Amino acid sequence: MTVMTAVRVAPLSCQRLGLQLAGNTVLSGIELSVVAGETLGIVGPNGSGKSSLLKVLAGLRRPGSGSVQLLGEPLAQLPRRRVAQALALVEQQADTLDAISVFDAVALGRTPWLSALAPFSREDRAIVEQALADLDALHLRTRLWGSLSGGERQRVHIARALAQRPQVLLLDEPTNHLDIQHQLGLLQQVQALPVTTLVALHDLNQALTCDRIAVLDKGRLVALGKPLEVLTPERLLSTFGVHAHYLIDPFDGARILRFRAP
Amino acid sequence: MMMRLFPCIAVALAALLIALLAGTAIGESNLSPGVVGQVLANHLWQAGYPVDPIDAGIIWNYRLTRTLVAAACGAGLAICGVILQALLRNPLAEPYLLGLSAGASTGAVLVGLLGLGSVALSMSGGAFIGALAAFALVLVLARAAGPGSNNAQVILAGIAGSQLFNALTALLITKSATAEQARGILFWLLGNLSGVRWPSVWLAVPVALFGLVVCLWHRRVLDAFTFGADSAASLGIPVRRTRLLLISCAALVTAVMVSIVGAIGFVGLVIPHALRLLLGPGHSRLLPASALGGALFLVAADILSRSLIPGQVIPVGVVTALLGAPVFALILVSRRGRP
Amino acid sequence: MLPRLATLLAGLGLTGLAQAAATHYPLTLDNCGKPQTFAQAPQRAVTIGQAGTEMLYALGLGDKLAGTSLWFNNVLPEYQAQNDKVPRLADNEPSFEAVVGKRPHLVTVQFEWMVGAQGAVGTREQFDELNIPTYLLPSDCEGKDNLVGADGTRLQAFQVESIYKSVSQLAAIFDVPDRGTALNAELKGRLDSAKAQLAGKDLSTTSALFWFSSADLHIDPYVAGRQGVADFMLRTLGVRNVVESSEEWPTVGWETLAKANPTWLIIARMDRRRYPADDYRKKLAFLRSDPVTRNMDAVKHDRIIILDADAMQAGIRLFRGLQTLSAAFASGKAAQ
Repeated sequence: MTVMTAVRVAPLSCQRLGLQLAGNTVLSGIELSVVAGETLGIVGPNGSGKSSLLKVLAGLRRPGSGSVQLLGEPLAQLPRRRVAQALALVEQQADTLDAISVFDAVALGRTPWLSALAPFSREDRAIVEQALADLDALHLRTRLWGSLSGGERQRVHIARALAQRPQVLLLDEPTNHLDIQHQLGLLQQVQALPVTTLVALHDLNQALTCDRIAVLDKGRLVALGKPLEVLTPERLLSTFGVHAHYLIDPFDGARILRFRAP
Repeated sequence: MMMRLFPCIAVALAALLIALLAGTAIGESNLSPGVVGQVLANHLWQAGYPVDPIDAGIIWNYRLTRTLVAAACGAGLAICGVILQALLRNPLAEPYLLGLSAGASTGAVLVGLLGLGSVALSMSGGAFIGALAAFALVLVLARAAGPGSNNAQVILAGIAGSQLFNALTALLITKSATAEQARGILFWLLGNLSGVRWPSVWLAVPVALFGLVVCLWHRRVLDAFTFGADSAASLGIPVRRTRLLLISCAALVTAVMVSIVGAIGFVGLVIPHALRLLLGPGHSRLLPASALGGALFLVAADILSRSLIPGQVIPVGVVTALLGAPVFALILVSRRGRP
Repeated sequence: MLPRLATLLAGLGLTGLAQAAATHYPLTLDNCGKPQTFAQAPQRAVTIGQAGTEMLYALGLGDKLAGTSLWFNNVLPEYQAQNDKVPRLADNEPSFEAVVGKRPHLVTVQFEWMVGAQGAVGTREQFDELNIPTYLLPSDCEGKDNLVGADGTRLQAFQVESIYKSVSQLAAIFDVPDRGTALNAELKGRLDSAKAQLAGKDLSTTSALFWFSSADLHIDPYVAGRQGVADFMLRTLGVRNVVESSEEWPTVGWETLAKANPTWLIIARMDRRRYPADDYRKKLAFLRSDPVTRNMDAVKHDRIIILDADAMQAGIRLFRGLQTLSAAFASGKAAQ
């Protein structure tokens, strides 16, 4: 993969993607092409299929119809290890009972790069520490999992994904459980990453900070584009069932959404 | 890291060697350490000491083999426990969860009761086939429960399979067994190293080593399951293939061990937990430590089973439970309060 | 001369003890703690246990047998022809219905656990309800608690008198007391002649081990402990049993047995094939090939006596067994 082709080929794309689970249609007819380096927000009401879409794009679930391409190649044909070297998914609420240290939890992110015989090198160590630093979690490195707060755990999960050094990062509602300071900080950090990022969000104001937004409604992709163009009051009423209007923040001139009950 | 590795290995091997020597020196009858040393010297480097042939036979053919098999079985069962606890993400997972000991007991009882012993199959052979048959049934049940093959399905299928085969065993014993037979079978089922000779060693030790090597090769894979199967998949592990491979490997090792020594409980469940409490969950350390811990534990249990009551041998499975429960409790209590 | 006189006097004594006159019916006798009543001599009997079967044949009562069960070996050759005419209900334990289906007037039982509280065939109460008397051979219940230990535990050592009692009582039940007396005299005679053969021999350093069978060939074997029938045989002949357990058939490890190094090994021959070690040839092969047992004195010098499994139980074969053992101990060589 030369630099030229990497720029031209979409890092992640899907065509006519459909998924059925237990007889229900979870996704249908999704067409998406992610732009390299962008932060793409995925929004929709509960049950619209955000998590399922991320799982299918990450290769964790096989779609019932359609296909996914990762870096130009069909996802279904790539060995899992290659996929993991290019793409990392941070799920909601992954947890463990093991007393694993923060450093080791993040070091798991190096797994796709380490063969059975390769030792954990100094370079791997540096990558892990960098990932921790990026998430402002370096001071937690010796703490054990059980002693972490929800927000700290979330940051460790994201640090692990970063340690994978992926080209595409998928985040499933990463701001859940975070306090307000860390919510804002996380989004800023995620935006600043040179990695192409897809992030599922339920806070629509947070979604406004993304480069583009995809709106899912009952498994269908109903809108894709710049946040202000997509999240119109009409869209918000029809998909989310709420009345909304934009306000200008006097502090910095940014647009924010204000909601009223129907 | 490498600097710490070699001394650790040296200490581990030394501990194992001491345990093996202890197992060879201690037994039902009193043989002095001097005699033990002479017999070993005679066999290992033709030292030519004059030793009573019965003593020599006891030391070389009975005790040494028993100790080696105890070490191999302890190591094998502990490693299988580690695999199952890592893959099934359940602290109660242990090698017999997949129906292996229940199937083995049914197989052994069938051979023992139908008197197939005079034909090709011994109780060991019956146990091995029974264990694998039960495992196959559990796999089929887990598959049938749904295509997702999640952990709950596997565990429930294992429970169902175990209950079925345990019921079969109970049925066979109550309908057909005389008191003499029931006693013989029970003795075998509780775990017993009396019938072990050199052929068992040539089976148990390579199988244990094979299990250890396969697991060490997959140590990072096992680590990757820390946050669940989806997390492992996103870290690049082909989950279904890997789980099938490792669980089948565990089933094979367990089936071999159970067929040689009966169903010795406790080792596969508790040794991994005890070492995890002491060393943390990283499998690079947990696997070899569990193997060593299991080996030492079972050798100690075998020694105790022979020396606690003079002239009588207590089934090893009873000793492992009696010995292991308080030791485990001790570890739990001493770690209390530490995160 | 003296031994013969002793035998004569003992025979007279027994005659005095036994009921030489015909039986008075209804006959009630206490059998292992339960009184059993016989209105008349039974016309049909079912046996559970080879000892009882052969005892009835020896008393000339073969024509009264309606069914037999629980065999260890082939029947004694002299009863072969008669036995062929009697239906064999089972090689091992028969079912309750098979037994009562023959409408017996008596069921003889060799082992109490066949008809005890957890009776393998059925309980004595079940037989009582159908008015079928059960006769347990006293050797298996007198001085023995069959609910403790795997084969029951003897609270006191086995007494040979219990066999004479079985014979006398069975003879009385069937109204042939004279035959009972005669049989007992013959059996006692065999016992005395066995002892006589060893008179004068110094057996103070002679020891022996009985090996019945093993659950698996290499596993700890079932050997005869103290207090049981096998041990009685050794005590009668003045030979020491190397096993010290007071259970009748405990399992003892080969290591302990090899170290004990008995002078004689006595292994059981039987037709049953439940365990590989049931076959006496497999037992021999094991003894000769195992790297520890093949160094035992008894194995090296071929002092291995092969004895019927029935001879190690309380039955009429016990006495022939005594003679076999005695002949071997006297000559120093094991006959096949």
